[in-house]
Amino acid sequence: MRDADVVLANVRRGMLPAHIYNDTEVFEAERERLFSRSWMFVAHESEIPQVGDYVVRRVMDNSFIVSRDQSGDVHAMFNMCLHRGMQVCRAEQGNASHFRCPYHGWSYRNDGRIVGLPFHQEAYGGEAGFARKGQRLVPAPSLDSINGLIFVSMDPDAPPLREFLGDFAFYLDYYTRQSPSGVEVLGPQRWRVKANWKIGAENFAGDMYHTPQTHTSVVEIGLFREPKAEKRKDGCTYWAGRGGGTTYKLPPGSLEERLQYVGYPDEMIKKMLEQWSQDQLDVIGRDGFMISAASVFPNLSLVHNWPKVADSDDVLPFISLRQWQPISADETEVLSWFVVDKEAPEEFKKLSYKAYLMCFGSSGMFEQDDVENWVSLTNTAAGTMARRLLLNGRMGMLQDDTPVVEPLAPEEFAGPGVARVGYGEYNQRALLAEWADHLEQEPPATATTVVGMSGQAECS
Amino acid sequence: MTTYLPIRSADSPLGQDAPTTDAVGASLAFDDPRHLLAHRWLVEETYVLDHQDYDAWLGLLAEDIHYYMPIRVTTALGTGYDTAKRMAHFDEDKYSLSRRVARFQTEHAWTEDPPSRIRHHLSNVRTFATANDDELVVESAVLLFRSRGDVNEASLISAGRTDLLRRAGALGGGWLLARRHIAVDESVLRTQNLAIFL
Ligand code: FES
Ligand SMILES: [Fe+2]
Repeated sequence: MRDADVVLANVRRGMLPAHIYNDTEVFEAERERLFSRSWMFVAHESEIPQVGDYVVRRVMDNSFIVSRDQSGDVHAMFNMCLHRGMQVCRAEQGNASHFRCPYHGWSYRNDGRIVGLPFHQEAYGGEAGFARKGQRLVPAPSLDSINGLIFVSMDPDAPPLREFLGDFAFYLDYYTRQSPSGVEVLGPQRWRVKANWKIGAENFAGDMYHTPQTHTSVVEIGLFREPKAEKRKDGCTYWAGRGGGTTYKLPPGSLEERLQYVGYPDEMIKKMLEQWSQDQLDVIGRDGFMISAASVFPNLSLVHNWPKVADSDDVLPFISLRQWQPISADETEVLSWFVVDKEAPEEFKKLSYKAYLMCFGSSGMFEQDDVENWVSLTNTAAGTMARRLLLNGRMGMLQDDTPVVEPLAPEEFAGPGVARVGYGEYNQRALLAEWADHLEQEPPATATTVVGMSGQAECS
Repeated sequence: MTTYLPIRSADSPLGQDAPTTDAVGASLAFDDPRHLLAHRWLVEETYVLDHQDYDAWLGLLAEDIHYYMPIRVTTALGTGYDTAKRMAHFDEDKYSLSRRVARFQTEHAWTEDPPSRIRHHLSNVRTFATANDDELVVESAVLLFRSRGDVNEASLISAGRTDLLRRAGALGGGWLLARRHIAVDESVLRTQNLAIFL
């Protein structure tokens, strides 16, 4: 990547070289240094509830089969046959005890172990030629999960997922642990947009400032009663560990009243009260903040909103999880899931699904206007003029780095990390600082898997 | 052996009250007045959609419409399903469609300002009778061309549709769309959003 030092230094002080949003060299650096190391979401356990269930998901250009084996354990296996490299599974999802390669018929159990190798004796001379014992589809270098969310890292030495997430785990519970059973995750809707992946991640991380402008139309039609300009800035943004997000300020009231205000039925509120820690409850009940959008570095975002789903004044909350899957410097595949508490009443699940579809996802009315902006931004960032422009991403800081508003004190905000009321680009800067830290590091060391040659290391 | 798996409103949590009328028998002859009527209805609708005359379009929809476009997923032959469980791109009733239309009519629906140039290419229309005289099932293929801006790559959405048309009765003999099942032909859509209708 050209002038990497200058680019990263600028990014760290909140000045954004515009070309980072559409630059093939930057994208290559991201592939080699960021997506080769960071934890990345691939699936939720509820997508593969039964023994034998699987989904096929990508991490950059790498296809993985995420499966639940006969004993219920979850695996993520590189979807490439150990013989000559055919893609073993060509479906996106299904249920199978075995995967048989269509090319020469090698077959694998759903935990990756090889079980069938036609003419092993005749063709290879048995174990003496091809050591079949212990061979398995190559597992993802690292695999870990939290609240049923399965992540992989391409770095075999990745730290544990919880360590990577740090204090963001506190906020993840609002979206994915509303009851002891956790959530079910439905979808994903998948579509490709000609936009750089970072734009969506930054937007969800902290861009409260765009809501009153970009989403004017959904307020005008009465879909959403919240994002009036003057209301959005009463919320706070927070950054904790490797993620951060935005909140809305709720009207005065008790904890229960505030959860009712966004549309949760009493039955669900009761479980939240038992499920969440006192600090988690205090963010809502004592401090009056309700979580909304959030991003986990690098490319996973969450959103929680409460629109009207019928011609009445009632609102109903929904949660979405989405991944900004990088395709190239100027293209992103959006994978957007609907998330709902497993123990929620059926009627709630139904209406929450409706709320999701109306607001987010491929046809969502919020999402439509977001993506239009991001595509245009990416287009404009392609040229040489964009290389001469340092955008100002410093909202919330004076020119001498003095903050415009002080962080909330612990008695004002019970959550971990740093939270500030009002508009600011603190979170976008935090996300990009993390991005810069990754781009500065050398790619992680990797190991080579040698197939069928017992006791031999790779040739060097 | 067939790879055709019909879309059913009953598979959606929001489709439980959808009209359930099914086609009966083979498709009608192309000179059957019912086919001519249904074909003309669809052609007229494509013009309404291409012109983004969405008020007029809402007027063509029955109050109990289920407008449903499930997500297509790639599954092995014989798996028995090729749409995602309980998830769709569109799963709409008249209220949610009316909100979408109302949004386009604000001055702040940026995604369609400047508007896309869209063209619904309609073909393969066949019409089926049903158990009652007031409803027809019509199948069609649609290829939606959508161009935004001057040099952005245009997008295409290919889909099959199965519609239920219902005689409006007292409303002057017009026909209304009471159910639309859209079988989109891609698992991953190559368009920036669905700020259009199929
Ligand atoms: S490539 Fe899979 S069996 Fe040969
Ligand atoms: Fe937005």
